[in-house]
Amino acid sequence: MGWSRRLTMAAVCSLCVSATAAAQGLPAEPVTLGAGRVTLGGTVTAAFACARLEENNSCGDDTGFFNYTDYEHSTLRMTRVAVNAAVRASRQFSFLAEIRSENGQAPQAYALYARVRPWPERAFDLQIGRVPPTFGAFARRAYASDNLVIGMPLAYQYLTSLRPDALPATVDELLRMRGRGWLSRFTLGDPTAAHGLPLASALRWDTGVQAHAAASWGDASLSVTNGSLGNPLVSDDNAGKQVAGRLALRPTVGLVVGVSATRAPYLTRALVRTIGRDGDGHRFTQTAWGTDVEYSRGYYLLRAEAVVSRWLLPTLAPRLRATALMLEGRYKLRPGLYASGRVDRLGFNRVAGDTLSDEWDAPVTRVEVATGYLLRRNLEFKVAVQRNVRDGGRVPRLTIGAAQLGFWF
Amino acid sequence: MTRALLALAALASVIVATSSQGAGAANGSIRGRVELRRPLAGIERRPGVADLGAQAARDLTDRLRSVVYLDTAPRGAFDQNEGGRAIMDQRNETFVPHVLAITTGTTVEFPNSDRIYHNVFSLSKPRTFDLGRYAVGRSKSVRFDRPGIVRVFCDIHSHMSAFILVFNHPFFDMTDGEGRYRIDNVPPGTYNVVAWNEGVASEPRAVTVPDGATTELDFSLR
Repeated sequence: MGWSRRLTMAAVCSLCVSATAAAQGLPAEPVTLGAGRVTLGGTVTAAFACARLEENNSCGDDTGFFNYTDYEHSTLRMTRVAVNAAVRASRQFSFLAEIRSENGQAPQAYALYARVRPWPERAFDLQIGRVPPTFGAFARRAYASDNLVIGMPLAYQYLTSLRPDALPATVDELLRMRGRGWLSRFTLGDPTAAHGLPLASALRWDTGVQAHAAASWGDASLSVTNGSLGNPLVSDDNAGKQVAGRLALRPTVGLVVGVSATRAPYLTRALVRTIGRDGDGHRFTQTAWGTDVEYSRGYYLLRAEAVVSRWLLPTLAPRLRATALMLEGRYKLRPGLYASGRVDRLGFNRVAGDTLSDEWDAPVTRVEVATGYLLRRNLEFKVAVQRNVRDGGRVPRLTIGAAQLGFWF
Repeated sequence: MTRALLALAALASVIVATSSQGAGAANGSIRGRVELRRPLAGIERRPGVADLGAQAARDLTDRLRSVVYLDTAPRGAFDQNEGGRAIMDQRNETFVPHVLAITTGTTVEFPNSDRIYHNVFSLSKPRTFDLGRYAVGRSKSVRFDRPGIVRVFCDIHSHMSAFILVFNHPFFDMTDGEGRYRIDNVPPGTYNVVAWNEGVASEPRAVTVPDGATTELDFSLR
């Protein structure tokens, strides 16, 4: 064992011990104020990762940018402090918010919306503001305590080369960006290099109106928001609204089957104007379909989710399609201890240019196995090993070890 | 809670007999009232920021019931435990009762009376267990053989929590809705008595139980 690994393990152990000691004095339940009208909760997570660099077999950063959500943030090396609050003004009105700081940056509103229940006796809600994602299942359980491993599914995090503010002029130009979504650059629109879009974003929530109705057999949601599935926004910068819907059925206890769909223009108005297609922006859309299944019983929990996304680009004839498939599970080995894993695949359709023919972005396969241990009921330590394989890019294969400590109340 | 846990653990390992129980003496009682001088709101759900709609209404936890017990018990009291059965129901996303006081050897049933899954577990040292997920109409049980305080949670619903206080003697009682308690059949002698509520224990208070008489002892918990 190298000195760096020993140092890392010692740091992790001391972090756990000190965190356990510190957690003794921290709240174990939400803080309530104003006779229960105000409820405050919180989450603190710290994750550290070490990628095995094959050139010198040492510990380093995620040089393949497999887990980056933009140029600076890796989901495996992230410290997050979040405070969430619910203020119940009346039986019909409540306000919810979550303020987050990631890696010590200035706090930002992750969620900020009003929840209106017009008929208090009926399970029908309207949510207005920066609302929870309608599409799919994972984006609403991206919290460390709900995530079975440490990393996120490829569909909700991995950056494709597509950008909302820049376009490839040709298929060949698009193909030259395969596996470079963390820093892609195209000739049309913004010429500076920047990160691309994931199929769906789990790290930002969209802004708009959402309706939700629930019954004993399941629930349904419909939303109209400013951004797109891969690029949620506070202020609209494209040619139309995103419409998203989800239907979840519960045919038996422990089984949830969901289907989702969404469609939205995703190119910025400035880009559409630049390429001389002003007025056509609403035609260049991201359309996605998703299905998700969860089944649990006894000591195991299984989840599967598939997302198919299609983009229409004004400069390219072929439609671009990406398909993500994820399967994950958890088994409780003993009280407080579990083993979990996720298998993930993200693929792209083939396109042909003048000189090149290939999938338009590099397919990625990810396998992650993890184990989690509850030091206290609300203090969890996880370790994971993640293997990434990509058919392109500068780093085609990378194995990453990660540890995460999470506290919530 | 730590103090109470230590007291219970000490009780399990060291029998401190302060009793002056004599042959033919009639047993007495200790009764009184526990006054709670701190606000105890029901346990709320964590703010459901990621929920697509408001969650269904649920029962609020009754956190007003306390447990009063002898911190030091009569010699021989620990030999009388036969164990038994008790029930902690899971109803409308609440453990009912929220506090259960039992003797060692007792088996507690955890039926699920909701139409959703629950997953009862505990990481407390006197008894760690995880019953897994099971649906309405089913029940699983746990036997408690070591004295101490066991915190019970649901792995799915973070607002569900309960306490099981396990004693290795029978000299304890739960307060009623007005905070009243009564510990009967106490052999004459001098004892330390503790009142406990939601993880907070009072200082042990010495009380002498005369032959065949009832002693009054009130508590105030802050």
